[in-house]
Amino acid sequence: MSTNSKGFSRRRFLSVSAVAFAAGPLGMPFVRTARAQVATFKAGVITSLSGENILGGNLTKRGYDLWAEAINAKGGVEVAGELFKVDMFYGDDQSNPATGADAAERLIVQNEVDVLFGPYTSGSTIAVQPICQKYQVPMISGSAESPNVWKAKPEFNFGIIPAVDTTAGKSLAVLAKLSNPMAKTIAVIGVNEPFSKETGEGFRDGAKEAGLEVVAYELVPASGDLTPVISKIAALNPDIVAVGGHEEPLINVVKTSKSLNFRPKALIMHYGVTDPAFAQALAADADGTCGVSVWLPSVPYKDDVFGTAREFAEMAQKKSGHEPDYTEAACAASGLVFGDAVKRLGKKPVLTPEDRVALKDAIAETDIQTFYGPIKFEKEGNHYHDNVQPVPVLIQIQGGKTVAVGPKEAAAADLTYPLPAWK
Amino acid sequence: MVPALDLFLQTLLNGLLIGGVIGTFTIGFQLAFGVLHVIDFAVGGWVVLGGYLGYYMAAGLGVDGFLAIPVAFVLFGAIGYLIGPILYNVRNSRTARPELMALALTFGLFTLLRGGMLTAWGFNTHSVPTALSGESLAVGPVTVPLIRVAAAVFAIAIAGGLFLFLYRTRYGLAIRATAENRQNAALMGVNIRRLSANVYGLYAGITAMAGVLMGAIFSVNPEVGLRYTLFAFFVAVLAGLGSVGGALVAALLLGVIEAFVATYVGSSYSLLAIFATLFLVLLVSPRGILRHGL
Repeated sequence: MSTNSKGFSRRRFLSVSAVAFAAGPLGMPFVRTARAQVATFKAGVITSLSGENILGGNLTKRGYDLWAEAINAKGGVEVAGELFKVDMFYGDDQSNPATGADAAERLIVQNEVDVLFGPYTSGSTIAVQPICQKYQVPMISGSAESPNVWKAKPEFNFGIIPAVDTTAGKSLAVLAKLSNPMAKTIAVIGVNEPFSKETGEGFRDGAKEAGLEVVAYELVPASGDLTPVISKIAALNPDIVAVGGHEEPLINVVKTSKSLNFRPKALIMHYGVTDPAFAQALAADADGTCGVSVWLPSVPYKDDVFGTAREFAEMAQKKSGHEPDYTEAACAASGLVFGDAVKRLGKKPVLTPEDRVALKDAIAETDIQTFYGPIKFEKEGNHYHDNVQPVPVLIQIQGGKTVAVGPKEAAAADLTYPLPAWK
Repeated sequence: MVPALDLFLQTLLNGLLIGGVIGTFTIGFQLAFGVLHVIDFAVGGWVVLGGYLGYYMAAGLGVDGFLAIPVAFVLFGAIGYLIGPILYNVRNSRTARPELMALALTFGLFTLLRGGMLTAWGFNTHSVPTALSGESLAVGPVTVPLIRVAAAVFAIAIAGGLFLFLYRTRYGLAIRATAENRQNAALMGVNIRRLSANVYGLYAGITAMAGVLMGAIFSVNPEVGLRYTLFAFFVAVLAGLGSVGGALVAALLLGVIEAFVATYVGSSYSLLAIFATLFLVLLVSPRGILRHGL
């Protein structure tokens, strides 16, 4: 008798069986999976669950999970009159694009997911795209905002949030229009890293369309001191200063400007201003800073799963303890896109590889109204497969709170312009 | 061209002040290297810890961030004092390449601090409020940010204090003797092990104090530590490793170069200019600008 056959002795068989029986009543997940024979859709979330982007990663996860909970509470996704629940699987990119690609491959090969929900960062999204292409699995990205994601014309990836090069420019036009006396000049600072640089470029190009003269366009290293660049801009005295960057450089721009006693008539930034941590870190100095948001709980949209935008916000608030931002909302809306596409496709789980390709085609034809707003993907051009439908809302921090100030139909308060001098 | 002259003066001031700011956390680093012969990668970790202490004291107790400076010195000085002997043991162990093992230890310590802070305090960016935050003084055409002046004064005071301590006290003599030749110092009766612990404690305390100021000038989150580690290392190499006085001169030089390049050439070239300077100095004078390095 070989060693191997000895290895699986009667004693071992009995002990394994005993563990399995004991685990059943305890609700051990592996036993439950083996027992559950009801067909479900499998969705894989690939995002940053550790590392430096853990905060944003969890934000995206929360958004995707909110959809899964909401749809499962309604009995599941409807296909040909039947309801199918959704099982969520998670892959951690550890805030590293290469790890993200590995995790996505694992979700596809091991967990056999029908659809992927995309990462928090654009960098990871770009890294995961070839994996989606290789295995022909569609991905819906509720967070990626870099135009480079869409310039690559990804066949299997779809974005819910409009790329920054569209939103930055549009919001600047709104700001210029609302300014009184009308702003004429602008200085743009972009942190020299993918997302921030593209935001800076979006502001720069959008400024020209908004009729503003760009007096300075500065790319700054992420770790550099901002005093020289702010001093230079202060000497040019532009009406508006626009900044493309993440939270930390944005905070440093305000602190450095104040330490040099320079305050432009308007200060606009992109991502980060809607994050409560921004206003918290700067306290009263955050007041007056403008930002861009593609969604707010006050927008007048609704759908069958979440109800109105306000109802979605309340649901999210109940779950996490704070008001959701547009990324969380866009992630939740990603699930609505999947639900709509699979319903139109009419294929029940488990999806075959051919079904997944057909699902990709069905997603490309999406044209729906959701609590997040309209969703329809571009079919050509530089924003291929990106949803550029939502109109960005110009927001401003007033009294420590984020309020919509433009365009007029979305405004909840008047824009404070020009900003008062520092006290 | 009066406005051009104004901008020139403002840029010069900006450069000198940021140089002073960088100097604050480089001085201790040099001292630790001089005595322990260890390039301490954890320097950025101590800076960030100081920043967090300032933030939590201000947010929790409602006190001015400046009050955290002496607390940072005592608290992190004590922690550094406890870590010092471990570092000394690794650096002087009989294993192959103890200098690399010590480097790995400080790198590990840095990673541990960064990960620990991320887990304990999250990724949000915070700011240390002080009486001088955002305050400025107009001197003719030039705006003088007071918090940066405070940091530069702090750097000069620390460098001066250390200079007096090293050259005017018996213990300072022992430190210098140890830095010069450890075996001879030990033969003269210096307790090298205890002295190393004291120096590492002093270094950690000074660096954490600088961290409170960094948190007030910039902002603090667990990820910014790496930046400070790199800057401390650049300045130390430029100054000549181990040279305390050179650290301040090198920091001021780098600050001025960064400010002028950012203002007159473009911000994206400032790091390039810093690296080019470093490269040139290493080519011409490998022992640093003052030729006092080891």
